[in-house]
Amino acid sequence: MHDGVSFALRRGEVAALIGGSGSGKSVLLKEIVGLQRPSAGRIELFGADVWRSSPRELNALRRRFGVLFQDGALFSSLTVAENVAVPFRENTDLPMNVISPMVGLKVALVGLPADAAAKLPAQLSGGMRKRAALARALALEPEILFLDEPTTGLDPVGAREFDRLVRVLADGLGLTVFVVTHDVDLLLSIADRAIALGGGKVIADGPVAVLREAPDPWLRDYFAAARA
Amino acid sequence: MAAFIERAAENGGEVLYLAGAWRLQNVPAIAEALRALSLPAGAGFVVDGARLESLDTAAAFTLLRHLAGLGCRPSMVSARGFGVPQERLLSLVRERMAAPPARGRSTHLGLVQGVGAAALHLATLLRSHIAFVGTVAVEILALARRPRLFRPRETASQFEAACLDAIPIVALVNFLIGVVLAYVLGMQAQRYGANLFVADGIALAVCRELSPILGSVLVAGRSGAAFTAQIGTMKVEEEIDAISTLGLSPVQVLVIPRLAALVLGLPLLVFVGDIAGIAGGMLVSAWQLDVAPEVFLDRVHGVLEMRHFVIGLGKAPVFAVFIALIACRMGMAVARDARSVGQNTTSTVVQCIVWVIVLDAAFAVLFQHMGL
Repeated sequence: MHDGVSFALRRGEVAALIGGSGSGKSVLLKEIVGLQRPSAGRIELFGADVWRSSPRELNALRRRFGVLFQDGALFSSLTVAENVAVPFRENTDLPMNVISPMVGLKVALVGLPADAAAKLPAQLSGGMRKRAALARALALEPEILFLDEPTTGLDPVGAREFDRLVRVLADGLGLTVFVVTHDVDLLLSIADRAIALGGGKVIADGPVAVLREAPDPWLRDYFAAARA
Repeated sequence: MAAFIERAAENGGEVLYLAGAWRLQNVPAIAEALRALSLPAGAGFVVDGARLESLDTAAAFTLLRHLAGLGCRPSMVSARGFGVPQERLLSLVRERMAAPPARGRSTHLGLVQGVGAAALHLATLLRSHIAFVGTVAVEILALARRPRLFRPRETASQFEAACLDAIPIVALVNFLIGVVLAYVLGMQAQRYGANLFVADGIALAVCRELSPILGSVLVAGRSGAAFTAQIGTMKVEEEIDAISTLGLSPVQVLVIPRLAALVLGLPLLVFVGDIAGIAGGMLVSAWQLDVAPEVFLDRVHGVLEMRHFVIGLGKAPVFAVFIALIACRMGMAVARDARSVGQNTTSTVVQCIVWVIVLDAAFAVLFQHMGL
């Protein structure tokens, strides 16, 4: 599917991976976070090779990044607060009286009202579900945040609010953010850098402003859609 | 371990020097260190971050929360010596933590509440079952007026999955029950030299009661669960709404083929079960009780009147209607989340098995009174 795709992320940047449907963006993300083994090549996170690590090492790596899945992937039988508490309970020895206020902080950090914490995911709107999932992804103080199509299914107003939230958190918490998206507005409003996939290759990689002027026909059409 | 915090008095004010890794895994130690300082309430502080190795939101939150607990307003705490990213993090945490802490656990009902909720749930369930039976009846009438609505292909594929594919397991289970019965009855009969009467017991028990019950229970577990899961997943994916907007009736497309498949299929499975059960009994009788197969079969012919066989077979379509309607109804009642599919599937199997046994008991009483 990919042929000679290569790039490196710098600490603290918000990088977006763009590309048409079927260009393998989501597959690449799954390979990076250790869910799907690439047929060839190397993926390093924090200097460790993801696919040569033992399961124990891989889990240690996983504690250093957070992933927001496309539909949030909240556990549907747990409330929002319980969802956010899961990483604390499973990965740390912290007592419940430490975890509860921490959960409250995470819920507040992603801009959810306090009463949302007691609700089940099914009782929330799409945008609130994504925020709750973001709170869960941020629970263990990750250094990198992976976002898969974070604004898909949100209305334009909600999508822009979510963009702003990601930017505020990235700056405030010093996160490196890697976002897979086909949302031009997200790219223009928060990304420092864009990596464009096409035909299994990286067709462009650089600051968004540079990509906008790139001669590649697919990129031209892509940005033209935003200007329209 | 390095001290996370030190307190010093400088220029008449309190200065807190933060040091080391202020990270999530150290939060309990940090909280302990903060408490050990026993800072005065209501005083102002200068917080110095120059010696920090790192700072994350959890640790920052622990500090700010502790100071807030002492009655420090944000204006009374000033920060110095922090890096730019750490300052941003502190101000973000300070800004957002103003919201009250989140409470929220899944609610657990007390005993009385639980009983009440269960009773209400049961009442709505029964009412919606009845409404569903009505809907299906109306659709069957529509089908009778316009036979073109019938979907033979869908029915055939459901028949294959629910009935033909179940033949091996139904045969195996009934065969083994025949074997077990023959052993149990044989032990008693042998004492009185009444070995041959084992054939009576097995033929009657298997044909009249066991094969219909076992067949229905197996079908409830296999096909009932499958119906609920299939229809429930379609509901989650909004496929059922799509069927409606295409001008089709979900009951015609989904429910009636499954209902027809089970009503036709379950009697067939019961028949297979009858044969397998008698075969199992015959095998053990020949092997352990010195009753030759031809003698055994001759005896079965003698005692197994047609009515027993027909009663067993006749109960099957009734059970099938209950299983199919409950399973389809529970599938349609799935809410739009993954948990609901699992809950309703479990509920289907439980309801189907309970109804089959309740109906069987009712039939037993009824036939007794009718002298059958």
